[in-house]
Amino acid sequence: MIRHFAWIDLFYLVAALRWTLALTGVAFVGGTCVGALIALMRFSYLGPLRFLGNLYTQVVQGTPLLVWIFALYFGLAIFGFSVDAWTAAACALSIYAGAFLGEIWRGALLAIPRTQWEAGASLGLGFLHQLRYVIVPQALRVGTPPTVGFLVQLIKDTSLASTIGFVELTREGQTTTAATFQPFSVYLTVAGLYFLICFPLTQWSRRLERTFHVTR
Amino acid sequence: MSLVEITDVTKQFGALKVLDRISLHVERGEIIAIIGRSGSGKSTLLRCINGLEPIQSGRIVVDGITVNDPKTDLRRLRQRVGIVFQSYNLFPHLSVARNITLAPTVAKGMPAQDAIKIAHDVLRRVGLEDKINAFPDQLSGGQQQRVAIARSLAMQPTLMLFDEITSALDPELTGEVIKVLEDMASSGMTMLLVTHEMGFARRFGSRVVFMHGGRIHEQGPAADTLAHPKTRELETFLSAVLH
Repeated sequence: MIRHFAWIDLFYLVAALRWTLALTGVAFVGGTCVGALIALMRFSYLGPLRFLGNLYTQVVQGTPLLVWIFALYFGLAIFGFSVDAWTAAACALSIYAGAFLGEIWRGALLAIPRTQWEAGASLGLGFLHQLRYVIVPQALRVGTPPTVGFLVQLIKDTSLASTIGFVELTREGQTTTAATFQPFSVYLTVAGLYFLICFPLTQWSRRLERTFHVTR
Repeated sequence: MSLVEITDVTKQFGALKVLDRISLHVERGEIIAIIGRSGSGKSTLLRCINGLEPIQSGRIVVDGITVNDPKTDLRRLRQRVGIVFQSYNLFPHLSVARNITLAPTVAKGMPAQDAIKIAHDVLRRVGLEDKINAFPDQLSGGQQQRVAIARSLAMQPTLMLFDEITSALDPELTGEVIKVLEDMASSGMTMLLVTHEMGFARRFGSRVVFMHGGRIHEQGPAADTLAHPKTRELETFLSAVLH
């Protein structure tokens, strides 16, 4: 039974968009935790920590996100861990986001001149105090625009979760297409919905870039 | 016991010997001008005194604390030794007040109210009390450097190090910074300055130390040494600096 692409379908798509946003949110929080750890490891004085942080970044950045999603969803099941689609997608996206955010933030920390560390040290501040009061506040300014930029990337990457049957915006689009057989209008609508979320973020990221450029 | 005791210090960057068996004792209240060509090791010597640069051999003791002992907590040392840099190095994201109160509150655990009181005091000493709420980028170079001095003074140091603090300033701004140095000199502060300000060195310096090739080539009472250099290298250097 083939029916037309109707208002009710748009409603379902918007409803599915909630899950895209929820997945993005969880992945961003997870990626933030992993990324902060990786950035600090790669910044540490301890060689082994630096090595591990670097290894993590290289491995994750050098492998496709889709493979991580499959590995967690199908792969772990073989060892007897049954992982649901939501958990597998959230974990894979967190692992992936962590590698990229870690790299962005390490760059932001490196962008702060060595003389700022020295000024803090010379006043008798310890390493963590230098980091907290002197370096990180300045690095946040540098790191925020690319972080928001990456968030846009992450929103779009959640569409890969559709491959393991997680019903987010893209998956809902596939279902709707199957029912209506109108792929062009359906996927155009899906694209439009992604754009409506991503475009304001991109603009925001640009504005941040300009503001920080002026004040620095 | 001298406030600063530098004994036989050698410092290398790779194969390059920057400090070559340097020995120097500084008494309390002394004002020492360290002069010499760029690359002669004078800034490095200053940075070794508060532990910013590690040394390969020798011994540095400041106020009873052995700087090059791995067991030494450098934070404790640096709370007593202020350093002011050529490029000011203020914290650009913090107000003048916070630049000054950060270390006293965070490193020394001083209550915020006391720290603010000190901030007012030290800013008055450098003539910038009205700038307490400004941000570094709203100040001129000379004003930023005076804030940097105030920031160091707020830690109530026993020793102040100055690393070419007027070299990045326009000539008309140097005067206001020199004025602050003169006030500090009159208040009895022990000061080590790497400087090209021969006028200041002559009038306020108790001693001049001339560095050449990583060694102390000549030293003596400031006015006398500058007027009658004994070595040819110092004579050449002085004639180049003074035209």
